[in-house]
Amino acid sequence: MSGLILLLPLTSSRNSRLDHPPSTRFTSPSRPTPIPCVVIGRNQNPWLETNLQKLHNDREDNANFSDDAVYVRRRSGGGAVFHDAGNLNYSVISPRTTFTRDKHAEMMVRALHRVGAINTSVNDRHDIVISTLEDQPRKISGSAFKLTRFRALHHGTCLLDSPNISDLGSWLRSPARDYIKAKGVESVRSPVANVSSSMQDAPAGFSMQAVIASVMDEFAQVYQVSPDAVRQAQRAHAVEPELYAADSWVAGAVGELEADAVPEIKKGLDELRSLEWKYTQTPQFTFSTYPIEEDPRERPPLPPSLPPSTRVFLRFKHGAIIESCISTSDNPLIAAEQASRVHPALNGRKLHELQLSNWTGLLLGRLSADEEPDTIRQLASFIASKFGS
Amino acid sequence: MSAAARVIRPFASRALAQKLPLSSVRRVSPAAGFPRGTVRSFSRSAFLEVKKYTESHEWIELADDGKTAKIGITEYAAKSLGDVVFVELPEAGAEVAAGEPVGAVESVKSASDVLSPVSGVVKQGNEILNDKAKFINESPEGDAWIAEIEVKDVAEIDGLLDADAYKATIDEE
Repeated sequence: MSGLILLLPLTSSRNSRLDHPPSTRFTSPSRPTPIPCVVIGRNQNPWLETNLQKLHNDREDNANFSDDAVYVRRRSGGGAVFHDAGNLNYSVISPRTTFTRDKHAEMMVRALHRVGAINTSVNDRHDIVISTLEDQPRKISGSAFKLTRFRALHHGTCLLDSPNISDLGSWLRSPARDYIKAKGVESVRSPVANVSSSMQDAPAGFSMQAVIASVMDEFAQVYQVSPDAVRQAQRAHAVEPELYAADSWVAGAVGELEADAVPEIKKGLDELRSLEWKYTQTPQFTFSTYPIEEDPRERPPLPPSLPPSTRVFLRFKHGAIIESCISTSDNPLIAAEQASRVHPALNGRKLHELQLSNWTGLLLGRLSADEEPDTIRQLASFIASKFGS
Repeated sequence: MSAAARVIRPFASRALAQKLPLSSVRRVSPAAGFPRGTVRSFSRSAFLEVKKYTESHEWIELADDGKTAKIGITEYAAKSLGDVVFVELPEAGAEVAAGEPVGAVESVKSASDVLSPVSGVVKQGNEILNDKAKFINESPEGDAWIAEIEVKDVAEIDGLLDADAYKATIDEE
């Protein structure tokens, strides 16, 4: 995140007990991060909602810098979304009392209409869709919310001109989806489109800068922001990322500098970047290669390199293993014994800390008595690949 | 099987049942273990009524032991949040301060904090909600409480809103 535009009208409120002045804020990325990322909702499961194999591996100690897309968990609810340089994120923090879920989605739609994307509208899931002549409406923007005592955060994506539009699913499709049953929130998959695709005929053509300027104008209308404030916000966006303040407003841009210098911002960012937040905040889930009571789906066949009697069952709480049943033998007694040998080595281990080498070492240590080392290695690699490790 | 029974049945016995369906697996009948909590008789007089409310739409009710209390969200909150899809429960042993989150609920893409009305130590989260988040919409001020805490200072509860005062704050909104 390199730059945020900020518009902050300082209004009076009947609630005088707030630590910070009650305010409405508007932010949008002035310089979108070049790397794509996948953002899941607060109560989602990264092993189920994303393709961790395709994403940058932040779980290994010596993880090298790479150009891979990154995985992020946000604080608000809702489902998984994809973000890249062609996607505009917007956020509005407003007093909770005057907040409705459609208020700022409608604001975005008016802004889009103004630049010529006239076939956009808000649907009943508080998303913005674009209607096309050929088929069903396609989603261009998803919303999510975080409500605290006095404030409501509404933020959303807006696919304006993503170069990855035809390929978003490859980041959002987990190799473990046939095996995982998770509590928490499941994403609702929708066909998507770029706003730019509907604007090829528009007189001015498509421009992301025009959309951002239009959103600022609409925001200014909704919250009666002074024209000076809007001018300064636009200046901060285009020219100089600084903060400007008058008696009744603050406008400007917040970037890396503030992220490091302001303790409250730094604390929040550190938490969002922590592996605890990203992985152990995951609601309870099971992984099973065979039908179980709570997840009776038929499972795909195991890879031919594994004995057909192979069974892998894992139960996780806070991203750590609390129950397991891993065996290869077709003899139920031996299988039960294998499982009880393996479990103590797995119990309490955090899934994001188990890499392929850990799985291999651990299973070799516990299963070698009655299984071929090659088969055990295959088993470890099967499990690790499903978890993207 | 009902959600209640699933919660009560120990994890380990379930794993066993998956592998080798043993008839001997211990099961607790839902009727025996649920509903938990006290059934209050009508003879309790009004001045013992210790259910209080916050402006942020939580309720807290002190148990008969005078030191543990259950916390939940109000009917009004449950209604305005809409269908609850997930409840984040606190861990037993966690210390909470008044006004700090003691849990969170997610509904219609919104994550909302549940603030503890008073300071205390978490005894347990309501595990039923792990399996059935929607229960919050059915019984927000009854069996779908979110946390049980040991209250640090019972006097803190006195300072909260009573039912009438709370109702007045809603009407204002």
